[in-house]
Amino acid sequence: MTRVVFGLFLRACVVLTGAAMATFALLWHAPGDPALAVALARYRTVVPDAVLDHVRAEAGFDAGYWPAFWDWLGPLLRGDFGQSAVTGRDVWPELVTAMSYTAPVALLALGIGMALSVPLALLATKRPGSWLDRFAVAIASLGVAIPAFWLGLLLILLFAVQLGWLPAMGARTTAHMILPAVTLGLGVAASLTRIIRSGILEARGKPFLPAFLRRGVSARGVQRHHIAPHAGVPVVTVFGLELAFLLEGLVTVEVIFSRPGLGGFLVSAISARDFPKVQAVVLVTALIFVTVNLLIDIIYRALDPRIGEQNA
Amino acid sequence: MRNVIALAFCFIALAVLAPILAPYDPAAINIPNRLSAPSADWVLGTDALGRDILSRLLYGARWSLGLAFLISFLGLLIGTVIGLLAALGGKWVDWFLMRATDTFLSFPELVAAVVIAGVLGASTASMIFALTVTSWMRYARVARGVGLSLQSEGYVIQARLAGLSPLSIARWHYIPSLLPSLTVVWTGMFARAILGISTLGFLGFGVQPPMPEWGTMLLDARIHMRSTPLQMIWPGLAVVMSVLAINLAGDALRDALSERVQDI
Repeated sequence: MTRVVFGLFLRACVVLTGAAMATFALLWHAPGDPALAVALARYRTVVPDAVLDHVRAEAGFDAGYWPAFWDWLGPLLRGDFGQSAVTGRDVWPELVTAMSYTAPVALLALGIGMALSVPLALLATKRPGSWLDRFAVAIASLGVAIPAFWLGLLLILLFAVQLGWLPAMGARTTAHMILPAVTLGLGVAASLTRIIRSGILEARGKPFLPAFLRRGVSARGVQRHHIAPHAGVPVVTVFGLELAFLLEGLVTVEVIFSRPGLGGFLVSAISARDFPKVQAVVLVTALIFVTVNLLIDIIYRALDPRIGEQNA
Repeated sequence: MRNVIALAFCFIALAVLAPILAPYDPAAINIPNRLSAPSADWVLGTDALGRDILSRLLYGARWSLGLAFLISFLGLLIGTVIGLLAALGGKWVDWFLMRATDTFLSFPELVAAVVIAGVLGASTASMIFALTVTSWMRYARVARGVGLSLQSEGYVIQARLAGLSPLSIARWHYIPSLLPSLTVVWTGMFARAILGISTLGFLGFGVQPPMPEWGTMLLDARIHMRSTPLQMIWPGLAVVMSVLAINLAGDALRDALSERVQDI
């Protein structure tokens, strides 16, 4: 097992290096002169070519692709994300602030998703094919098809504009978290319901169930000790997908709710062409995503020993 | 199954027939008549520039569905080639291509697409590039998996011993066995592409106004959300309906092909 975990860890490192190279390549090939962008941000006026050459030499842009890449990677490896090209302030503290707005919403959304999907899937699978089951499947299919930003706009329209129950814009109070979290939570609930439902149905079809019942194990005992673990394994792996869904949803949802979180941070940085900020968000997101998926891979192998040693 | 596929085809028909079905020119501005409520003349009302929303929705189907088709098809081509190369190219080619695939999967696809499209400059071309570059990985994984399992099949070994070139083996043995699996993946990616196009359009990084793309229409409608909320309903409903129809068609297809589709 140690060997497998080490192999997975090594692979995660390779992938992160690849992600850093891809990010640098994208920013290097972005249209526009990067030196001009830095100079404009620094001096706030049109600068002569001599100054541009100076900036180019100072930032290492004229050294060519690979020297510039190593110059770029060095500070990042030491955890120094540099300064914003627009404001000149350090990127890292601003990023931490943004994450402190994003994390509670993401966790609350995940909680809402679990709280809705587990009971719904359990009720639906009591009698497969019943109207309740069909309802659950229909709701889940619908939930997967709705873009998060449109659902958010509809919720604003209903709960903030028409009913006036909840605030829609900003992040001043805890109540501001509810609508964004519900928006994302409904999406999480939809995809989780589908997966838990099919996990339970698949576990029910296993040949060991009649054997246990025949031997006098109670239906409840079978449900708890044999169906639940079987349905649980795919749920663990799907958390990687849910995280991706949350991060994708956050980009637009934070924009429509005007929250100063990671998604809003990213979109405004892109619009302002503030590349140090963009690369910080990209690399931190990749780090979180790869780490979570690494943990999921390890847990998955621990839960189901049959896959343990494969594909490492 | 029939109903769902018929519904999906209905959407495609609406997109193709837009010039015949649309009552107005989708770009015709009519300021005195701006933000009007649905009426007999303007079935779904008009937007902030007085343009007919129904006509824009119909023409918007061409952008949203047409570009989604293009993007998912390009992803299919790239992913299949990469997956087959990984399966057939030997140990190191496989290692390199699969780590490249993992790298592209190391990031939520839509977030990556937002960053790429935004950094390259908001335009339809950068959007197509961004969504294509982030959509080939699943095809590659499926193509590699099927490719590896075919390698030890008797008829493939026989074809190789008979001296068939790798290209014709790929053409006559790999592609036919891949098609069912790839079609199922493709329906899912088609639906994702529709969501991606509307998301990028809504953020302002995709199809640019005045083109009637559904996400771009939602961006416009959002500004007037309080005065004319209905305007915001239609484009979103169009996205949801088409994604739902394609997803359901994909589910039906997977069930119908279940014997020939390897685990996806």
